Amino acid sequence: MEYKVEAHRIMSISLGKIYNSRVQRGGIKLHKNLLVSLVLRSARQVYLRDYYGGICLSAQQAREWCEGEYMDSEQDRLVPGSTESLPESDGQSEVAVDKQEPSIVVESHAALDVESEARGEQDHAENGVLDSGCSELKTPESPEASPTCEVSNVVTTISSNCISGPPPSNPKQATETPNDCQTDSESVEENSHEPIVPHTCTNRKRSADDSELTDSLPKRTKVMSPTLISKNDEKKAETEEMDTSNVSSLITIFGSSFSGLLSSEDGAQPDSEAEDSDSGQICCDQMLKNLNPWSTAIVAF
Amino acid sequence: MDEEIDTRKINNSFLRDHNYATEADIISTVEFNPTGELLATGDKGGRVVVFQREQESKNQPHRRGEYNVYSTFQSHEPEFDYLKSLEIEEKINKIRWLPQQNAAYFLLSTNDKTVKLWKISERDKRPEGYNLKDEDGRIRDPATITALRVPVLQPMDLMVEATPRRVFSNAHTYHINSISVSNDYETYMSTDDLRINLWNLEITNQSFNIVDIKPANMEELTEVITAAEFHPNQCNTFIYSSSKGSIRLCDMRASALCDNHSKFFEEPEDPSNRSFFSEIISSISDVKFSHSGRYLMTRDYLTVKVWDLNMESKPLETYQVHDYLRSKLCSLYENDCIFDKFECVWNGSDSVIMTGSYNNFFRMFDRNTKRDVTLEASRENSKPRAILKPRKVCVGGKRRKDEISVDSLDFSKKILHTAWHPSENIIAVAATNNLYIFQDKVN
Repeated sequence: MEYKVEAHRIMSISLGKIYNSRVQRGGIKLHKNLLVSLVLRSARQVYLRDYYGGICLSAQQAREWCEGEYMDSEQDRLVPGSTESLPESDGQSEVAVDKQEPSIVVESHAALDVESEARGEQDHAENGVLDSGCSELKTPESPEASPTCEVSNVVTTISSNCISGPPPSNPKQATETPNDCQTDSESVEENSHEPIVPHTCTNRKRSADDSELTDSLPKRTKVMSPTLISKNDEKKAETEEMDTSNVSSLITIFGSSFSGLLSSEDGAQPDSEAEDSDSGQICCDQMLKNLNPWSTAIVAF
Repeated sequence: MDEEIDTRKINNSFLRDHNYATEADIISTVEFNPTGELLATGDKGGRVVVFQREQESKNQPHRRGEYNVYSTFQSHEPEFDYLKSLEIEEKINKIRWLPQQNAAYFLLSTNDKTVKLWKISERDKRPEGYNLKDEDGRIRDPATITALRVPVLQPMDLMVEATPRRVFSNAHTYHINSISVSNDYETYMSTDDLRINLWNLEITNQSFNIVDIKPANMEELTEVITAAEFHPNQCNTFIYSSSKGSIRLCDMRASALCDNHSKFFEEPEDPSNRSFFSEIISSISDVKFSHSGRYLMTRDYLTVKVWDLNMESKPLETYQVHDYLRSKLCSLYENDCIFDKFECVWNGSDSVIMTGSYNNFFRMFDRNTKRDVTLEASRENSKPRAILKPRKVCVGGKRRKDEISVDSLDFSKKILHTAWHPSENIIAVAATNNLYIFQDKVN
């Protein structure tokens, strides 16, 4: 159990470092951020392993529920009626399951398989972070904020996870959670980052895998209000960018999403990270004006 | 080895307390020139200060060639990259001297993005007796000129001037961490996190990329280059270290792009020491060839390792610098100390290696006798010209007198940069914003 606490603490510290690295002088230091993201990943793995051992049973139930009802659950998740406390909402399909069970929200990241496990790590990371940042704030706001929070969680998880483990080879399965989560996350993220042009972004960002969820995406877009794109999310996204287990092109998401905001080169992949963070910051600043005080608290984290 | 201490303070603030030192004065690199006559330091404010060794005089035999300030100049200025909205720090990351070919001295200095070649020359004569202008520089009225004269060179006070001769810019997307001059003295390489570029010292608008480890998809990035150096004797060979604890030796004759290494040095990780921070502490912060070119030395967070170029599977020798920090990695991670990049140096004969630690301690390891010593660079604890007393950090419960416990170490006082004279036992140690020069005691 101590490992879990320790891992949680290390994750929070790591995220704080990534956050700070974006405002420090001299630009983002690739080496340091890479090391921090490696620590973050190790901590997540430990956290999840530690965690997984404890909730094996509930995970089983969650998985069965989830696989059968993925599509519905997604929509349900966005319904404010879901009572999970915000910070714990994660936006993963498996987690969506958990959301239905408020009692074990935080704890119940079902590590279903390798993929979901990897994603779960993200969730944990996020949960951990948000927990520390806003645990006291979640209660008053939970009902309304939950959709946004969930979405933002999706965002973060996605980034990292996009395909940890064996990438889902058949994109066609509507019920295949990883894929769905991934694409959903992508579109969600786009939306969250560019509330101005949500639809076009979504369409542009559509990856090849994204077949079943096309119809669900527009719905998601509409339901989502200016999301909780706190610096938290972005910085986690940044983390994930450098996380080696990620395959999803967060950078391309950033790159094309912010092409309007940036004046820099198109093909310069090298700088995409730096650009991304900057553009993320620009967008983030725009978002910040729309955020309610509660989310601002998360941002402050 | 006995040392006597001779202190130089190079910031102008006259404040003794390090806590108040301005950040711009923090020394970020120290380097002797190939003869050892000059010592250059770079700081965070983009300045380079060059010290010159006094000629030994018979009148003062005990002042064995002390180092005095020879030249100070602003090498780099803070810049702003407007495209990326990023500020480029002016901090000097590395200085490398070129061998002396004429009366002037040349050095390369680099910040995160730009390398500059500086010429440091002396001027002790000036021409006097111009026809068209008088001594103050005012233009003379041609009507008043009645005779022509030839300007003559008159002696003047020695003036040392530094002029930038070449500026090598716009070749690095990431932060430059090292530069190294080739043995042919015509080319040098500059290294950033993902790429190494080869330059000709004469040509500034072109460089060749010789190593590129940037993955096609940045999210698959797993390691970065942390340091690189040319072989001291073979101009075609160079090594670069990575954040994963490996060193690759490349031969430029093999192909134009040296992504495929010729040798790969890596020690398998000890699974019993695995922790969250294993990757960070295995990241190599500095790599140096021995003067002979037979060995290479690497510094990671807790150890210094000497490798034989002919044996890739494991290092020849491993020295623990401050193993007592292994249990404190989490706190060091929190206060960012775990990211400190310590450098390491060889002595002229490759028999002793030196590296820095915390609390203004630095360590020397004698490779032959296997003895090591911990010394402190601090004015409070040693008087000038006194012999340095070896220090000891106690790790157990019982603290003897004169020992320092791990918990009372000051982690803000770190010695990252040191240099050893190429042939004599003179070392330069940079402790935050102070430079200490130690010499062997002469009876």
